[in-house]
Amino acid sequence: MSLRTVEPRRYVVYVAFLLILAFFAATLHDDGFLSQTNLLNIVRQTTPVTVMAVAVVFVLSAGEIDLSLGSVVALSALVTAYVMQSQSAFLAVAAGLGVGLGVGVVNGLFVTLLRLPSFLVTLATMGLVAGLGRSITNLESVAVENQDFTNLFGSGNVGPIPGLAFWALGAVALGQLAFRHRRFGAHVVATGDDGVAARASGIRVDRVRFTVLLVSGLAAALAGILYTGRLQGASYTLGAQDLLTVIAAVVIGGTRLFGGEGSIIGALVGSLIMGTLANGLILLGLSSSQQLISQGALLLLAISLTLREPRGETP
Amino acid sequence: MFALAAASGSLSCTSDKEATSPNVAIKASKTLGTTHGPTGQKATPTSALELTSGEAAEVRAGHHTAALAWHESSDFTTAVTAGARDEFKKLGIQVVAETSANFDAAKQKSDVETIEAKKPSVLLTLPVDRVVTASAYKDAARRGTKIVLLSEVPQGMEYGRDYVNLVTDDLFQMGKRAADALAAAVGDRGKVGYFFHDAHHYVTNERDRAFLETITVNHPTVEVGARVGIGDPNQAQDEANGVLVENPDLSGVYVTFSQPPGEGVLAALRANGNARTKIVSLDLDEPLALDMAKGGHTFALIADKPYDLGRAMAISAAYGLLGKKAPAFVVGPAMTVTKSNLVQGYRESLHRNPPASVMNALGK
Repeated sequence: MSLRTVEPRRYVVYVAFLLILAFFAATLHDDGFLSQTNLLNIVRQTTPVTVMAVAVVFVLSAGEIDLSLGSVVALSALVTAYVMQSQSAFLAVAAGLGVGLGVGVVNGLFVTLLRLPSFLVTLATMGLVAGLGRSITNLESVAVENQDFTNLFGSGNVGPIPGLAFWALGAVALGQLAFRHRRFGAHVVATGDDGVAARASGIRVDRVRFTVLLVSGLAAALAGILYTGRLQGASYTLGAQDLLTVIAAVVIGGTRLFGGEGSIIGALVGSLIMGTLANGLILLGLSSSQQLISQGALLLLAISLTLREPRGETP
Repeated sequence: MFALAAASGSLSCTSDKEATSPNVAIKASKTLGTTHGPTGQKATPTSALELTSGEAAEVRAGHHTAALAWHESSDFTTAVTAGARDEFKKLGIQVVAETSANFDAAKQKSDVETIEAKKPSVLLTLPVDRVVTASAYKDAARRGTKIVLLSEVPQGMEYGRDYVNLVTDDLFQMGKRAADALAAAVGDRGKVGYFFHDAHHYVTNERDRAFLETITVNHPTVEVGARVGIGDPNQAQDEANGVLVENPDLSGVYVTFSQPPGEGVLAALRANGNARTKIVSLDLDEPLALDMAKGGHTFALIADKPYDLGRAMAISAAYGLLGKKAPAFVVGPAMTVTKSNLVQGYRESLHRNPPASVMNALGK
């Protein structure tokens, strides 16, 4: 692993991000791309994905996956908004986070106690949680008018900096600390690299797997709460399209899809790449179909550069 | 779903002469109501929107820009976009951005924020969700963008202050036409099913209400024997399966919109081996149109004219740029499409021919 971390291709994602920024800056300099408002918009728009991406680095590095992310976003958002109609914002946020905690515990227990693949367990909870989200408000959206809440969780600014930027930075800092500077991160990577060897070396593999799924659930719940603050309301459709965006951001950022290697900073950059592409392609004036085609082609190029395994390393 | 709802929404009836399906004439019954805006506004037909040559020249001289922020991508939005672009071209307004939110309210908020970086003079949009997209539109309105809304008004937005006007289909006429078509399909007698949209949604609620009122008052010999609320349009097939088991004698069904609930009901009828129940739904939709072309269950589809809606939105935007007061609530006409006018229906509604499968089934 140490050899891999110094390979130049690991840094391609950062170069790719700079190239994308440079391209849009050159082509869209008259169209507001480089305006402070637009750049901060990209940060605002990507924060929920960044928060989830940090957690997914742990999940993928441990050799697991969490498909229930998007559903947890919606249910957490709806529960938060719904509880806030009659209770304090503090209780509402606690209830929203409780959703993520609960789903994370269920996912973790099924994966570790029953030895079931996380793909299937979280596929099941994805449907279950999505159904709950649809049923609790009968598909109705719920508005949030508590300004203290919305300012803190998505709509507020600190000076010119959006509050969401601090949530993203906080998640990245916490993730980086746990992943690179604590034993837990090494255990996650070891578990994903070779679970049997990790167990033999004394790592409590099941505990690692349980924890990463728990963290994933909590991160998705926090993303749901941030969406609620940003949109000043919640809808059952929130997060529905986030799962693939999050996984793409994480994998582009250098985390191996099959475990054993991850990068928190890479995930942040991956998330910013996804957001910048979406933003820049709109500003280029492309039609919706052209945006999808361009986004797909550019992502293909990005993963070709960042994920291509050297010969002999293909799992 | 939203798309479907809006797509199916249609404009006022063009005449009382309705389409005919093979050997079955559809008689237009008495109109029992009118379409009102979400807050009770009186409807103005799209045909009433007009710019003088001087006004058009003034708009052209302004070198304005426009952006389009849609809720999804479909035949409907493609036709609305085409209508809007054609009208903008005449007015010298350049379209600088176009987005599709794929029904994701968070994406639509991001789309609108991004679009605003280009400082468009006008924004044409169909909000995905009246609650959670409202903040984005309010911000855009505060920055001076003239907003023309399609089919939905975000919560807290005020006509004249935050948006130019609301354009949609003549929803009552759509529901009424569906009732008249279903009555014709079942020979004005027997038992029919009523699959309505069981969610708070202005467009579908208005159309469903008009259908129910018309079928019960104007066609008293038709019994509405099964009332089924569709909360999740994707589950319509399951709902229909249950209803068909309980009510095997249904002569016809009304389905609130075509895709996916209309398709779901059609699939359920086929799965149950039912060969007699007729479907009337709202929106042009390939599987239902193909079924109709083959003489299957689908008797009629009520369609709107999204190309005309797009044109009306663009003209409304010009009103906003000129500071000319636009009618608060503008509606466009609807048409009843049956097998006999299927090709014409597609051309009038979507400005294109039916899909190749439908043309083949029609032998064209």
